[in-house]
Amino acid sequence: MSNAAAPRTPRSLQTRLLTTVLTLVLVAWGVAAALAWHETDEEVSDLLDAHLAQTAALLRLQPLDELDEDRLNEAPELDKHQPRVVFQLWHEDQLLARSASAPLEPLTQRRQRGFADSQVGGNAWRVFVTQGRERDVRILVGELQSVRREIVLASLTSILKPMLWALPLLALGIWWAVRGSVQPLGRLGNAVATRQPQSLESLSTEGVPPEVLPLVTALNELFERMARLLATEQQFTADAAHELRTPIAGIRMQAQVAQGATDTQERATALEATVQGCDRATRLVEQLLQLARLDAESAPDSGSSTPLAEVARHVAADLQATAARRQQRIVLREPLAPGVPIPLPEPLARVLLRNLLDNALRYSPEGAEVQMQIAGHGDGHAQLSVEDSGPGLTPQEQARLGERFFRVLGTGQSGSGLGWSIVQRIARLHHLKVITDRSPGLGGLRATVRW
Amino acid sequence: MRILLAEDDELLGSGIRAGLAQNGFQVDWVRDGVAAERELATGAYQAAVLDLGLPRQDGMEVLRQVRTRRNTTPVLVLTARDAVPARIAGLDAGADDYLIKPIDLHELAARLRALVRRAHGQSETRLAAGPVELDPAAHQVWCHGEAVELSNREYDLLHALLLNAGRVLSREQLEQRLYQWGSEINSNAVEVHIYHLRRKLGAALIETVRGVGYRIAREPA
Repeated sequence: MSNAAAPRTPRSLQTRLLTTVLTLVLVAWGVAAALAWHETDEEVSDLLDAHLAQTAALLRLQPLDELDEDRLNEAPELDKHQPRVVFQLWHEDQLLARSASAPLEPLTQRRQRGFADSQVGGNAWRVFVTQGRERDVRILVGELQSVRREIVLASLTSILKPMLWALPLLALGIWWAVRGSVQPLGRLGNAVATRQPQSLESLSTEGVPPEVLPLVTALNELFERMARLLATEQQFTADAAHELRTPIAGIRMQAQVAQGATDTQERATALEATVQGCDRATRLVEQLLQLARLDAESAPDSGSSTPLAEVARHVAADLQATAARRQQRIVLREPLAPGVPIPLPEPLARVLLRNLLDNALRYSPEGAEVQMQIAGHGDGHAQLSVEDSGPGLTPQEQARLGERFFRVLGTGQSGSGLGWSIVQRIARLHHLKVITDRSPGLGGLRATVRW
Repeated sequence: MRILLAEDDELLGSGIRAGLAQNGFQVDWVRDGVAAERELATGAYQAAVLDLGLPRQDGMEVLRQVRTRRNTTPVLVLTARDAVPARIAGLDAGADDYLIKPIDLHELAARLRALVRRAHGQSETRLAAGPVELDPAAHQVWCHGEAVELSNREYDLLHALLLNAGRVLSREQLEQRLYQWGSEINSNAVEVHIYHLRRKLGAALIETVRGVGYRIAREPA
């Protein structure tokens, strides 16, 4: 009833199985009983009819000479069961002889040989008609229908009674079997329901029937994935807290130095360092938030079209001040043709380029040049590369880029180790290709993003 | 007191160096684990502040290496991880104390003083010999109960001799304790400072052991 308006609580498997099986058993039993009735009725009728015919045959052998033609001859009753079958001997319209319990009217009007059903004296009769040895004598042998029905009923009862007794036993047996079969499911349900909310332990597969095993296995795999995810999350939170502690420790220390400074120069230096530390902590928090937002994002927005060259110019301008602090130069090379638009929302494009350029500046020496180049590649696709003149990275270090909080050690730089995580996360979300190698022109790292 | 600082973070490192200098410490600052191990091996430091997350060689490894060479320089570990197992591992690896970032400058200074005091078997906060008393926490010296003005160098020299009361310290040993890297050392600087100390605190306090060095006699218990 999937289209029913009101949601209905589904019946339990056990109830469903029980009702179905029991209904089927009852129907089958009913059909069997009906068939038995029919068969018995037929068999018994044939048998009784044969009796009637046989009685008629015996009567036919009797010589009629001994009968007193002027009075009604009545056969005495020899047995208490005898009145079940009665006979009449008719000569034309005169009743010559009859059983004591036979009526006086003819049992049937039928004259030809054979069986007939009739109503005489308020009773239904089954009658066999045959000719006597003399052609004008009619032999009628009859039996009350009600008696015949009783016989049929009696033999039917003797067949159906044991079947009737078996019915409740069968129901009990079915109930027991069904209950036993759904028990593993019930146990599984219980095991899941009684778990601690935080528990991600595997369910035991012991004694689980093969039909239920895939369910348990799938559940266990889910639990495992959840546990892994949770562990990654916890690791990340711990790492993030750890990474935030160091700049905060620096800020606090510098502030205390400023408090205890005895000359203005010392105080000014410490305060300047305090401000720098705040900037660094702010950047780290911003990057963490960016990552969190990127983690939450799942479906790429395919409809956007961002002018890459324009974003590149914006980002280069934004970071000009940072570059100038260490006498670095940002060189932006654009192709002659107008920049190809890229299918990446502008805010994300900014974040991507900013992180790439920021990294390049950070790990280049003072006075170095950092190049940002936009080109087309292939059929109308854009490509952006950022090259620096820093020490570059070993293949091992390149492989570790994007690990959260991974930093190339010994650079003396205060990066958060999150920039590449952000770049790679955006690339994964929007199916971009990011390649790192050595810059042929500047000798440092070259990072290339392809759309 | 000469302290080795091993910290790779510019901001925190420069802050600790400046802050400890304000508290009267001479601080030498290294930025990686290899340098930290090399410097500690010289034995020129009264104590070391060691960050665990160091490049080139992990702080914990530095500690292990130093301790296997039976170097007993007191080490205070700085860590950003506050999980108990991390702290236990640090202490077990041979750290004498630990602080969790962010740290308080004054607490760091106090703990370093305590480490140095304990390393010299002293449990009292004030060091004393004859009429002279020195309070490392207050960076203050008294003679016959009256406060005496000492220069930083004179104070450090007196502190070193008091910490090692009963033992002779050579001129080289004293020089090592007085000067951080890059400071200029006059060949007779120690003699000059000893002369000033005797003038301010009385000639009997510091004894010259000819050809060996100087000594302050241990207080009879």
